[in-house]
Amino acid sequence: MSANRWLSTGNYFTSYKEEQRIFATHLDRSVLLCFLAVLFAWPLLFEVSNKQMFVIDNIMIAMIAVVGLNLVTGFAGLISIGHAAFVGIGAYTIASFARLLGDTHMVLTHGWPALIVLAGFMGALFGAIAGLPAFRLKHLYLAIATLSFQMIFQWTINFMDFFDQGQTISVGRVFWVTGRVGRSDHYLFWYYVILVIIVLVGFGVRNLLRTKYGRCLVAVRDNDRAADAMGMHPGLTKVYAFALAGFLAGVAGALHAYLYRGVGIESFTLHHSINYLAMAIVGGLGTLSGSFWGPLAIKVLDMQVERLSEWTGGHLAVATNLATALKPLSFGLIIVLFLMFEPRGIANWWRIVRSYVKLWPFRY
Amino acid sequence: MTYLTVSDVTLTFGGLNALTDVNMDIEPGIITSIIGPNGAGKTSILNCISGFYHPSKGEIRYGRRSLTKASPHQVSNYGIARAFQNLELFSGLSVLDNLMLARHQNLNYSILHAVFYFGKAARLEAENRAYVEKVIDFMELEPYRKMMVGNLSYGVQKRVEVARALTLAPRLLLLDEPMAGMNIEEKEDIVRFILDLKKEWNITVVLVEHDLGVVMDISDQIYVLDFGMLIGKGTPDEVASNPKVIDAYIGEE
Repeated sequence: MSANRWLSTGNYFTSYKEEQRIFATHLDRSVLLCFLAVLFAWPLLFEVSNKQMFVIDNIMIAMIAVVGLNLVTGFAGLISIGHAAFVGIGAYTIASFARLLGDTHMVLTHGWPALIVLAGFMGALFGAIAGLPAFRLKHLYLAIATLSFQMIFQWTINFMDFFDQGQTISVGRVFWVTGRVGRSDHYLFWYYVILVIIVLVGFGVRNLLRTKYGRCLVAVRDNDRAADAMGMHPGLTKVYAFALAGFLAGVAGALHAYLYRGVGIESFTLHHSINYLAMAIVGGLGTLSGSFWGPLAIKVLDMQVERLSEWTGGHLAVATNLATALKPLSFGLIIVLFLMFEPRGIANWWRIVRSYVKLWPFRY
Repeated sequence: MTYLTVSDVTLTFGGLNALTDVNMDIEPGIITSIIGPNGAGKTSILNCISGFYHPSKGEIRYGRRSLTKASPHQVSNYGIARAFQNLELFSGLSVLDNLMLARHQNLNYSILHAVFYFGKAARLEAENRAYVEKVIDFMELEPYRKMMVGNLSYGVQKRVEVARALTLAPRLLLLDEPMAGMNIEEKEDIVRFILDLKKEWNITVVLVEHDLGVVMDISDQIYVLDFGMLIGKGTPDEVASNPKVIDAYIGEE
């Protein structure tokens, strides 16, 4: 009898290689491929306004950043309150090219894929530097150290003439094989770029997590004494975790710079760091799928609350103050509620739904 | 031939001597036990050997290497593995991943291989998985392979702890009270594993244990510590008849 590769029933493995696959069945893989195909096709089938596309692009950039944050905070257990600074490093890498060469220079407009990767490496470098305190510090103290990096970053940019004291530095429109990406296609173009990067990041991180480079992160989270005895250097592993997070943040930052066609300090403040952390918590710390759910949930919540406060403000002038307070209030509330009732985040709901669908119509 | 030598090791914590001039010669291929009352310094000596503490005075040599200043990850690379007394497992990972972590040093592929999971990464993961399975088979952990370690019972976690040390493929295995808190049946299992380790895997075992019955039964060599000082050594029979040892355990009249 040959093995059934399509369903989990009758699907048995004869080698460890087979068993170590990401997708246990062909069905799992096909479903994901179909989903990806839909993601690529839908903007072509439906009319999407630039404004909507802009929001979607923003969510997707946040996803890339949060995957990075989840690696360092969720998997390696090192709380980072300076993630927006790493995103900023990526964005300011692009900005420094714009300042040095002019914002419509060839390097910037034609060499953007290379620059995005370079921004990632810059993020990794600064991530590693900011992660150095992890050699000695743990838990809350380390969190304060990352906070100080956030502050240093903001102050440095605010006082550097080169970066225009944090005011917006513009970045030119990029070129694609079809020519310059114009105003009407801008957001659609970046949707595809970001989508491709997300797919690469998703698969890269999923692969990483099933090798020693992913396991060592969880090892230093759960027990760094034992990790030491297992033959890895816990300090270096933590610095590596920060570098990894910095890389993804840097890529997200570069995309942010190109999408907004400008870089200003107001997008990389402490507030944004907290926001990323909230996304990781709501999505589910220590899960890959949570890094995708979190940004989606938080941004959608943000938009709905904004709509609500606009509506109340329009109808009841007295309530305007209340309406403005609604946004931070709901933001705080959702974090508290998740920490209290679902500390494993939306990813856990996703897990439950999946196992239910897999077993249906049986209970277990 | 001596294998691991501990010579004149003194370990001081702010004026208090946890160990005073301890000398030990651990020979290959046998089971050496370290016993002593609570607070005698048994775990301290293991911590010194495995690199978690560095002795204030004296030297520890393993073959031609000095372990006096080595850090735990270096010691583990020299072929010395350690199972902890209080469970120090990676509770958020499955048994399989816990054991795969012990193969960390053998998985020498680059991060680029890992990201794309091709070539060397895939091959080495599968190869080392085969080794892990050998240990799982030996330690009889098959039913728990994919379970989260944090959810397992205490006795099984203890067994995973020993299995993880074993997965490092050590030549010298340091076991810190592997039988603490276990019932008779579980103890018998562990004893069987230890004896098989010596016989089939040719691993030198250093055992710290409170259960004197077990120690007297399986040890080839025993060292007795009390208040950080070595008060007796020799075969089980020699130690059992040593008046100092009897004193330390039963006390003077």
